Amino acid sequence: MNEPEGLWARLPEWMRSARFRYTLLYSAVLFGLAAVVLAAIYLVLLMSLRATPVSAGRRTLCPPFGGQCITFITFQHAERLINAQILDKLRFYMFGALGALFVASLGVGWVVAGRVLAPIGRITAVARDIQATDLSRRIQLPGPEDELKQLADTFDAMLARLDAAFAAQRQFVADASHELRNPLAIIRTNADVALADPDASPDELRQAIATVKRAGDRMSLLVDDLLALARRQQPTLEHEPVDLGAAVAEASDDFMVPAETRDIVLDRAIAPGVVVTGDREALKRVVANLLDNAVRLAPAGSRIRLATGSEGNRAWIAVADEGPGISPEDQQHVFDRFWRADKARARSDGGTGLGLAIVRQIVESHGGEVRLHSKVGVGSSFVVWLPITRPALDGAQR
Amino acid sequence: MRVLVVEDEADLADAVARGLRREGYAVDVAYDGDEALDKAAVNAYDLVCLDLNLPGIDGIEVVRRLRADAGAEPPRVLMLTARDRTVDRVVGLDEGADDYLVKPFDFDELKARVRALLRRDAGRSGALLQVGDIELDSARHEARRAGRPLALTPKEFALLHYFMSKSGQVLSQEDLLEHVWDENADPFTNTVRVTVMTLRRKLADAGQGQPIQTVVGRGYRLREEQ
Repeated sequence: MNEPEGLWARLPEWMRSARFRYTLLYSAVLFGLAAVVLAAIYLVLLMSLRATPVSAGRRTLCPPFGGQCITFITFQHAERLINAQILDKLRFYMFGALGALFVASLGVGWVVAGRVLAPIGRITAVARDIQATDLSRRIQLPGPEDELKQLADTFDAMLARLDAAFAAQRQFVADASHELRNPLAIIRTNADVALADPDASPDELRQAIATVKRAGDRMSLLVDDLLALARRQQPTLEHEPVDLGAAVAEASDDFMVPAETRDIVLDRAIAPGVVVTGDREALKRVVANLLDNAVRLAPAGSRIRLATGSEGNRAWIAVADEGPGISPEDQQHVFDRFWRADKARARSDGGTGLGLAIVRQIVESHGGEVRLHSKVGVGSSFVVWLPITRPALDGAQR
Repeated sequence: MRVLVVEDEADLADAVARGLRREGYAVDVAYDGDEALDKAAVNAYDLVCLDLNLPGIDGIEVVRRLRADAGAEPPRVLMLTARDRTVDRVVGLDEGADDYLVKPFDFDELKARVRALLRRDAGRSGALLQVGDIELDSARHEARRAGRPLALTPKEFALLHYFMSKSGQVLSQEDLLEHVWDENADPFTNTVRVTVMTLRRKLADAGQGQPIQTVVGRGYRLREEQ
């Protein structure tokens, strides 16, 4: 098993190339065909000319009374003699021609194989040049729409997709590090300044610690959300039947008190017996993130409505608030990671800028979609649509 | 030396301001770009610590306008940024920022960079200032006259520092109030006069003669040669 590989490895590089193999193949086929054709011609000639040795037809006539003898052959014999010589010559030239053809076919084969393989060489060279960090290059193979162009175009399209994916990833990492660095800077600077002051009062120290704790809390929220996003990028969600109404009710229980403290009424209209397949914790998180936004941003004294239900083979969860609303140009960004309507406000009020991105990711991994209807000054409503696996029969689960 | 800290994270801005005040700088804080430009239009800052990522007018635009509006003596700008991409820093430096620091930073490093930027004004290198027989080490926060250490309060130290960085120039009470006191100082009290007085007394106690002269009707001057 090792020996052929060893032999293969010992060959010079040009002999290991596809170009060399195609050249040999081309040359062998051409040479074989030519040899067969020539051999056939020769054989046919041979059969039809039937050369007999000239000596067989030789006659000698001697004069009866002395004198010189005359050796002669008949006209027929002379013809045969000439034919034999022609066949000899033909054979000689045939071999010569075959030899020349062999050499020529190698040369032509090498050139043709080179021409055919050149675009592949170009594709290889570009692919080799491309690093993961610079995906901006393209092959852009010129020429007609043939198989090789299709290959190159397919490759280009793949590069474009990879480029976009890497760019999004880089942007995400840059955003995430930016979001993490700010609370880190708060922690370090406050600690540095507090430690450097030898006669700081207990009150000042307590204040510094409270600030550090605030920044730490913010970081742990952010890290939780980042991990949630990262984990859900892999398809590791549970697949189990989930009673949607029960999950939504459970998730919203946590928001009754915060809503009340902000003087917000949280109305719930939960239809029983809707069952979807998916990850119960993830679906609860969807509801929690939507409610978290609503409770944080809605004005005091307003009303938040949370409802679930089903329509045909789809279940829905709706969260409607009477908050500030989202302008049409901002609506396309609300599901982007780290996007915030108001940079200054959102930082301090505990949002990580990841809540809705997580919502969208979870919903889409469940085969559903999330829609936003919003009017500035009136309020926003988020509607999550999820496919139902089986319509519940008894509706008595809760 | 008067410093403006521009940072939208209040917890960070306040800590930086507190730390710099303890170093003897007069520090004001602005929490967004508009406020920063408003304050810079009113007060003559020697240095601005500027976060690049601000709500409203962003940091780059603030640098640009500080350069455009400040006329002859624009403040030094130290950028604070949470973005570590080179392009952000290049844009900031190109627009006229003097230095940058990536968050999270060590506060000692921030102090060192602030000192270094303020030194550039006087075209000196090193943290050590010397005028006549007065020496001032801004890194160690020590001042000496004729080799004898001076026991100065932070404000007196800051005042001496400012005098030494502008030695030979006549400085009015307004100049001193602008560069050594922050916006919380009441311009109608005689705090400048009192601090100059105590500083002069301490200087006189430590060596021969009074290096800070009164220029009648115009202000004070630190003599370069004694």
